[in-house]
Amino acid sequence: MSLLELRNVSKIYGELKALDNVSIHVDQGEWVAIMGPSGSGKSTMMNIIGCMDKPSKGEVLLDGVDISKESSKKLTDIRRDKIGLIFQQFHMVNYLTAVENVMVSQYYHSMPDENEALEALGRVGLRERARHLPSQLSGGEQQRVCVARALINHPELILADEPTGNLDEANENIVLDLFAQLHKEGTTLIVVTHDPEVAEAAQRTIVLEHGKVAREVINENFGK
Amino acid sequence: MTKRRMFLRMITASLLRRRSRMLIALLSIGIGATILAGLVTIYVDVPRQMGAQFRSYGANMLLLPQDGGTLTSDGLAQALKSIPDAALVGAAPYRYVRLDMTTRQQSFTAAATDFEQITKTSPYFSIEGAYPSETRQVLVGKEIAETIGVKVGSTMELTYQPSNTSTDRTPEESRVPGASLSGKAEGFGAGVVYVSAVLDDEAKIASISVDASTQTPEYGGLVPEDEGFLNQFIGKTLPLTLGEDVDALSGATVTSGAVVDALNTATEAVAAVRPKTLNFTVTGILTTGGEEEEYVFLSLGDMEIMTGEDKLDVAELSVSASVDQLEEYAASITDNNDGVQARLVKRVARSEASVLEKLTALVFLVTLVVLLLTMICVSTTMTAVVSERRREIGLRKALGASDGSIRAEFLGEGLFLGLLGGVMGAVLGFVFAQVVSVNVFGSSITFQPLLLPAAIIVSMAIAAASCLLPIKRAVAIDPALVLKGE
Repeated sequence: MSLLELRNVSKIYGELKALDNVSIHVDQGEWVAIMGPSGSGKSTMMNIIGCMDKPSKGEVLLDGVDISKESSKKLTDIRRDKIGLIFQQFHMVNYLTAVENVMVSQYYHSMPDENEALEALGRVGLRERARHLPSQLSGGEQQRVCVARALINHPELILADEPTGNLDEANENIVLDLFAQLHKEGTTLIVVTHDPEVAEAAQRTIVLEHGKVAREVINENFGK
Repeated sequence: MTKRRMFLRMITASLLRRRSRMLIALLSIGIGATILAGLVTIYVDVPRQMGAQFRSYGANMLLLPQDGGTLTSDGLAQALKSIPDAALVGAAPYRYVRLDMTTRQQSFTAAATDFEQITKTSPYFSIEGAYPSETRQVLVGKEIAETIGVKVGSTMELTYQPSNTSTDRTPEESRVPGASLSGKAEGFGAGVVYVSAVLDDEAKIASISVDASTQTPEYGGLVPEDEGFLNQFIGKTLPLTLGEDVDALSGATVTSGAVVDALNTATEAVAAVRPKTLNFTVTGILTTGGEEEEYVFLSLGDMEIMTGEDKLDVAELSVSASVDQLEEYAASITDNNDGVQARLVKRVARSEASVLEKLTALVFLVTLVVLLLTMICVSTTMTAVVSERRREIGLRKALGASDGSIRAEFLGEGLFLGLLGGVMGAVLGFVFAQVVSVNVFGSSITFQPLLLPAAIIVSMAIAAASCLLPIKRAVAIDPALVLKGE
């Protein structure tokens, strides 16, 4: 059963067609990578899937609901309730500690629970670093905090934008291992990347070029 | 952990861990609040401050005996109870009496008063020497001192010359039980006939005697000895008519008429009082530039010894209060004290009020300007804070923060800053006001307990108002900016 479905989605900025009649679908529990060069429409697609932008044309079905015509207030609610976001530049609130950053996500979603937040940090191996400010954490540690923050509310979909773009190989592997664990637990993952290694970790790769789906590749080696 | 605690944790962390920027915002609110609290303190305290200053220009209320009443020292003390002690700067009683200096054949107006009170009600009095501090001492007006040539240390012999008859009573008022009457009227040949009589308990004539020495001895001159004629008067009530109440003595019709006229116009005789003379030492010469220089000032006690009366002509009060309050006090004194009326010295009271109005208006205006400047400053700082935190705001929105949450967080930070700034303002503002007060008015001010909550509420309101525009910008930030490329 598909969790996410884009039907003939276009996003047009004046003359430029950032997305041109794109149709994709992502099943519940699936791990999908979206690849493509700069200007291929990756970011636009990510914004639309992440409920931060609306398509000019077409339908976006998330969990069976068309979100393409919703108000931005409603989109905020959907994003908060269903989607966990992970960004390339980590993006932590720089004056809050690691655990507080995780709790911010809980705060907007429902109730802050420090123990649960600490547990989530334990899961990404940062239990001991919970009281540190972002400036006291390495890039890899910050990204792991962001993973903990994304999964804290048990979202149906985790949307990661170049999650390993600013990481060294060791940290990249840690993050990919975390993704693999989440996948095993049944979380749907969509990872936008230009790194073939990261894409190969996924079950399926959607390649975008010039705002269109150029091809889809099934990863034969997945899980091996 | 509740949402509220997390909210507080976030905004306090934002303020405490991002010190430099927030310090600027805090400083602008704090300094604004300081100046505001200071100005408001001065604004509130100015009437009191200036009131005390104004009191150096002299009395602003007078207590006078009401028609037919007498003002005494006790009466004054009673009347003063209508004015709160804190407001009453001084109350100087005065009794004005004409005294003679027989050695120089001069007479002056002498003002008996309380010198301690004079220093309060008339601080502008300039004295060469000192105020009298003991009995038998006088303060002499400069003009008199120059006329008679007295100096500090000179002695003066002053005499009180009582009048023998009371002049201010009409014959009708004199016809009271037990009165001793004396009168005179023109008789035969323009000679004056003197009559004296005593009235009994029912105001009827009890006895009568006549001096007709100016009349013709064998006619009118017989009147004083003629018992038959005089006995007609006994038991009669004044006034009398010749030919109806009494018959004229045969051959002395004109003299008889003069006796009746003299009785009808007779007034009560006052027992002759001997002149009272006391010796005084001059302790000071008074210069005021006003009519006080023509007076001799002595103590109420000495005056009472000389005149035998405890009586005041007027009391000058110096009261530190607004015109409205003064009017209230005056009305209360007049209503509650028989025979005493209080009047405002309008000129003094009104000019005080107008100066105060102008001063408070000025302070108010400056307060308004500072308020505006503070708001601009805080608003600018908060706008800078918002642009500095664009990414964080975008992140929060991406994480699901609603516009309301963003508003609440920034407003919360603003209010927290306002709270801190308000406390700072109340404390520093009081210090500021104190410094201004000491340097400008030369007196310290009292701390207004309401200042603290007022300063906090006002600076929180200012901070909140200043945050409105920056918050509008924060809410407009697009969450997508946190994604790649930004």
